[in-house]
Amino acid sequence: MKKESVKLFLMILPFLILVFLFSYFPLHGWIYALYDYRAPLKLSQCEFVGLKWFKALFSNPTQVSQLIVVLKNTFAMSLLGIATSFLPVLFAIFLNEIKVKWFRNLVQTLTTIPNFISWTLVYSIAFCLFSTTGMFNTVLQNLGIISEPLKILDSGQHVWLQMLLWSTWKGLGWGAIMYLAAITGIDQEMYDAAKVDGAGRWQIIRNITIPSLMPTYFVMLMLSVANFLNNGMDQYYVFQNSFNRDSIQVLDLYVYNIGMTGRSMSLATAVGVMKSLVSVTLLMIVNFVSKKTRGEGLV
Amino acid sequence: MKRKMGKRVAAALLSAAMLMTTLAGCGSTGGSTAAGSDSTQAGESAENSKYAETLTIDVFDSQANFQGMQSGWFAKIVKDKFNMELNIIAPNVAGGGDTLYQTRSANGNLGDLIITNLDKSRLKDLVTAGLVLDMTPYIDSCESLKKYETAIADASALAEQDGIWAVPSEISNQPATEPCEAMEPTNAPSLRWDVYGQVGYPKMSTLEDMLDVLEAMQQNAGTSDTGKNVYAFSLFKDWDGDCMQNAGAICALYGYEPMGFVMSKVDGSEAQSIIDNDGVYVRALRFLYEANQRGLVDPESTTQNFDTLQTKYKEGGVLYSLWPWLGAGQYNTSENTAEGKGFASAIIDDMKCLSYGSMPLGKMEVGMMVGSQAKDPQRLVDFIDWLYSPEGIEAACPQTGGGCGPEGLTWEMKDGEPVLTEFGVKAFVDIDADLQVPEEWGGGSWKDGVSALNVKTVGVVDCDETTGMCYNYQRWADYQQRVATKLQEDWSAQNDGALSAIEYMKAHDELLVLPGTNYATPEYSTDISTIKEQCKQVIVAQSWKMVFAADDDEFEQLLTEMQDLVNGLGYDQVLTVDLQNASDKAAAIKEVIATAK
Repeated sequence: MKKESVKLFLMILPFLILVFLFSYFPLHGWIYALYDYRAPLKLSQCEFVGLKWFKALFSNPTQVSQLIVVLKNTFAMSLLGIATSFLPVLFAIFLNEIKVKWFRNLVQTLTTIPNFISWTLVYSIAFCLFSTTGMFNTVLQNLGIISEPLKILDSGQHVWLQMLLWSTWKGLGWGAIMYLAAITGIDQEMYDAAKVDGAGRWQIIRNITIPSLMPTYFVMLMLSVANFLNNGMDQYYVFQNSFNRDSIQVLDLYVYNIGMTGRSMSLATAVGVMKSLVSVTLLMIVNFVSKKTRGEGLV
Repeated sequence: MKRKMGKRVAAALLSAAMLMTTLAGCGSTGGSTAAGSDSTQAGESAENSKYAETLTIDVFDSQANFQGMQSGWFAKIVKDKFNMELNIIAPNVAGGGDTLYQTRSANGNLGDLIITNLDKSRLKDLVTAGLVLDMTPYIDSCESLKKYETAIADASALAEQDGIWAVPSEISNQPATEPCEAMEPTNAPSLRWDVYGQVGYPKMSTLEDMLDVLEAMQQNAGTSDTGKNVYAFSLFKDWDGDCMQNAGAICALYGYEPMGFVMSKVDGSEAQSIIDNDGVYVRALRFLYEANQRGLVDPESTTQNFDTLQTKYKEGGVLYSLWPWLGAGQYNTSENTAEGKGFASAIIDDMKCLSYGSMPLGKMEVGMMVGSQAKDPQRLVDFIDWLYSPEGIEAACPQTGGGCGPEGLTWEMKDGEPVLTEFGVKAFVDIDADLQVPEEWGGGSWKDGVSALNVKTVGVVDCDETTGMCYNYQRWADYQQRVATKLQEDWSAQNDGALSAIEYMKAHDELLVLPGTNYATPEYSTDISTIKEQCKQVIVAQSWKMVFAADDDEFEQLLTEMQDLVNGLGYDQVLTVDLQNASDKAAAIKEVIATAK
């Protein structure tokens, strides 16, 4: 018995090492938040400043209001993401209803592919289509609908909405995969029973498919709440410019902008540390709520 | 059973092999890689006896606009002389400002040859962190570098440690108060001269008069060579630093140079905060805003990059050139200038064009260093020595900056005077973009073979001391005769028969020379630089919005918003430091002027 457990432990050991290397080991970098760090110097050559950078974040009203703007963007984009998280569910359900196999596969493939296109390329597509001399503007101008090109990429209007549309376009097919798998896991006998009872397509969807998908949906929802502050930066990084900066700068991008572009590594690390702490707290809360309301938690 | 065993062994071996390859991959990333077995190539040239081993060196080059292996004729010269290949690492190409410098230097190895700024505490940091090699043991045999001993010692002093650490660039044998430009100052209102002529060469007494002129010009210009709309202004954001760089270029017409958040008049007479309502920077923004209101600004300005802009100049799609070299470099081909078409500097009565003086002690903004982990330091120091020898200067100085190229290829000596060869004429006079280099010089196109280092080791108008020949071909009698075109004649006729813009402006007191000093801007403390970075992101973003504001109210509102925001962030603290730097520099300038007299 003991031998067996050693064997099992050895089997997960490589993954434990990987998790440690990539998830816990990098945390030692947090120490940079306590120093006055400048790039080529070694940490030992830099001054220890304690919690100065954490205090600096809240040192004056403008700094705080900047941070609030950034948080507002982060929350808005995350909320919009969560608010539209039912779209992949619906998409999966409807996709499943398509009975022509080749067409279903085609749709699924075409909608999954955008997930594998990097944001850089997505931006170049966006640029070709929507820049002032892009296809969209050129066509409208040639048709005489508009005389001046519409500013789409370089304007501060509807930035959140635009970003939401792009990420939905990119992620819809991919997000649906999980639910498609869950649908195949639903007991076929329930469908048969429903049909015998005379349920129509809509009734089957409403009373069997959707309720069966709910557990998966909730797990995904909880994970996305825990990731509330981590809405990534690559999408916003490629789309950002002087005109939309106020509405596009999310927390991760803000950290990058002050840390890498702005050469304040220590301050950026401090923001990063705070972000991690808030994320862990959020995860705890969600887990607690889930345990109370649904009787099962994540961890 | 046996079969299964075999499979297992195979699997174990395979995974072991995979592990080995991964590890081997890790090992080869750091430092220079020597292709030791490559002896066949090394044997090709007799000169290689000194350097038996072919070396590929990493060159970290803040000046380079190309990333990758140097190719073409310049690569062949370096290979033949030093048996060395240059792998250029260019932060300019990688983008993201200082990101590449930060990550590479934090990693402990910037490169084998380092070309970057020495001021702002950078040399000091690099030396303290042990990234730069002391050249003292290697420099004895270097004949060319010896000539610049004082300049080198002066630059190395920035490290605040004993040793020979860095060689500054653009070291000049000309006086500091003389412009270092050959024909036109670095900053001047450069217009499409032919179109300016079509509207009757209207006189301009101040900057804003140019708007009427450009508006008339734009109406007259029709479409570009490729049938697109022509605009007076086309802007780009690639070089934005502490402020919107293109607006800064307008400020330079009045002799202002940005130093952090200060616009400092380079004779030391004035230092303004850039966000001042009546300051020159806001005036420049207002000027560009007015231009946009009149439809003179290319709507693509907000999204295009410098490359796209260059193409527009080449196709004749832009009428105003932010700097003389930009428009002229792209559009003034021999074909166009022969027809009288091309960019030339117009005269605004009250302008004081910023021109850069020669630097007897070199330029601290760009210097060369050898990395502490370089494989063959002697060869690298020899290479730097060669770059400062006449042969190296001719070959390596950027040809866009007037560097004349290697003797025998682009030029030859005739009766003690340099003259362009047939090839040189194609390269410099015709500006032939597809010019192919003869096989014995390494083949490939001329343009691609140009030194990607993009460093001017000595002053642009300096001369070879032994032959008296100027390194800048634009100063040669032979070149000037060849480009005496309709455009040039027309310009002279309009400007009292002057031969060059710099000569005319000098005579009319329309030039302000920033004397070359060895003043090195100190680094900001991290507190200040943190505030500064936040402020500058706000300033750059708001500036662009102001230029493209819908109406006057929005312009003013954005201006106030910018001032409020940066003031809240602690702009004043940065400004105090910048004002101090500006006044220190002014003192250094005054000293140089005093000694020059």
